[in-house]
Amino acid sequence: MWWMLAKNDVVRRYRRSRLGQLWLTLSMAVMIFGMGAVYSSLFGSSLADYMPHLGTGLVLWGLISSAINESCSSFTENESIIRQISLPRFTYLMRTLARNLLVFVHNLVILPVVYLVTGSPVDWCILLFFPGLLLVLANLAWIGYLLAILSARFRDIPQIVQSIVQVAFFVSPVVFKPSQLRVDHPVLILNPFASMLNVMSAPLLGQMPSLISYLFLLVLLVFGWLLSLAFAGKFSHRVVYWL
Amino acid sequence: MAQIVLDKASVELAIYNSRGRALKSEILRRTVGGGLQDDRDRSVQVVRALSEVSFEACDGDRIGLIGGNGAGKTTLLRVLSRVYPPTSGHARITGRISSLIDLSMGMDNDATGYDNIEMRGIMLGLDRKQAQALIPDIEDFSELGEFLSLPIRTYSSGMMLRLAFAVSTAVHPDILILDEVIGVGDAAFAEKAERRLHSMIEKASIMFLASHDNNTIRRFCNRTLWMKGGRLAMDGTPDEVLSAYAADLAT
Repeated sequence: MWWMLAKNDVVRRYRRSRLGQLWLTLSMAVMIFGMGAVYSSLFGSSLADYMPHLGTGLVLWGLISSAINESCSSFTENESIIRQISLPRFTYLMRTLARNLLVFVHNLVILPVVYLVTGSPVDWCILLFFPGLLLVLANLAWIGYLLAILSARFRDIPQIVQSIVQVAFFVSPVVFKPSQLRVDHPVLILNPFASMLNVMSAPLLGQMPSLISYLFLLVLLVFGWLLSLAFAGKFSHRVVYWL
Repeated sequence: MAQIVLDKASVELAIYNSRGRALKSEILRRTVGGGLQDDRDRSVQVVRALSEVSFEACDGDRIGLIGGNGAGKTTLLRVLSRVYPPTSGHARITGRISSLIDLSMGMDNDATGYDNIEMRGIMLGLDRKQAQALIPDIEDFSELGEFLSLPIRTYSSGMMLRLAFAVSTAVHPDILILDEVIGVGDAAFAEKAERRLHSMIEKASIMFLASHDNNTIRRFCNRTLWMKGGRLAMDGTPDEVLSAYAADLAT
């Protein structure tokens, strides 16, 4: 059911434009090539070296940030349905996540083009992308569940989250490369987003993700879900009264 | 079979103004304490919308709900459709529910009529095949013909209502919840709609109908609940309850 709803969301958003879903991909592509040109000269690195990193980072960051931002409104945007029929609350969150995953898949199409143009190496490591993606999605799910409940009660949460995500963008290795920092820099070790990016982007760029990233995300996953479920157990039945 | 048991079910609604909805003021309130709190600032108000309502309903009950505005009828309907869990007391509801409180629930203006039929069917718990199986019946009933393949934002409000009504009544639930009997469209269609609603009511195991119209209640119901100030004031046959209600209004 959530899959249907999510598919419909994506189709609807672009139904009235001629290029349809292609808009998603196009705007992302323009951003990658534009930023790539500017920042590679800014950092003094070659385009062939920098572009794959930036492209992968931006596409992956798009998934992470929009999933977090939009899950804030998972319950509030489905208010009319929640107030009329009783479905498991998690359905609405799945709708948001599935929608963002679909948009992400559209953007993903750009990456092979980027790799081809710049001649970035691709090898069997790429298969590790899928467990990485799964691990990230599972983490995004608990974060989203928590935020969706909180945002139903406190309507200023989405704005707060938006600014936090904005800040996170600048301290995560999207625009800059991790190698431009010291390996043990706290930004790379303590920032969960850095780990999320690492487990997904390294395989795509023909590198092995770091073991620390996997461990960090796994621990986060377990504790995050425990927290989220405990919280939901206490408050999820009250969500409807807050809408 | 469908069954409903309410045991001292109460619903307390917290009404927040914009201040009560902000995390910022919540943090201030908790940390700074009462000193800063202005007595006039009622950022959270609690309304007891339903107060210790107990009754049982079983197969064959056609229950009318009466009471003035704000008496708790709609809140009770929401509890019955499992949307509002009681804040105290219990509500045990078994059976498939369909509520026709808001006909246009979840309709997507940019999607075609057909897409909307499918989406609604899925929301009602059908799988894709079952949802598609509803289409011929809805096509036939709504008489919208080729308009069904147009986005519903192009529909007139009458057409929209036809579609919403046709979709909402295409699935037969065990428990049917109605907020006023709905009149739809022109005279010919209204008659058709009424027939459809009747058959739906007949097939339902339990029916709830909130109405301000005594004739409607007498016609459809074999039992009536009178809500007053969130409490269940009376539970009996339509004639008994309606006359008591009328007497109460007169005083």
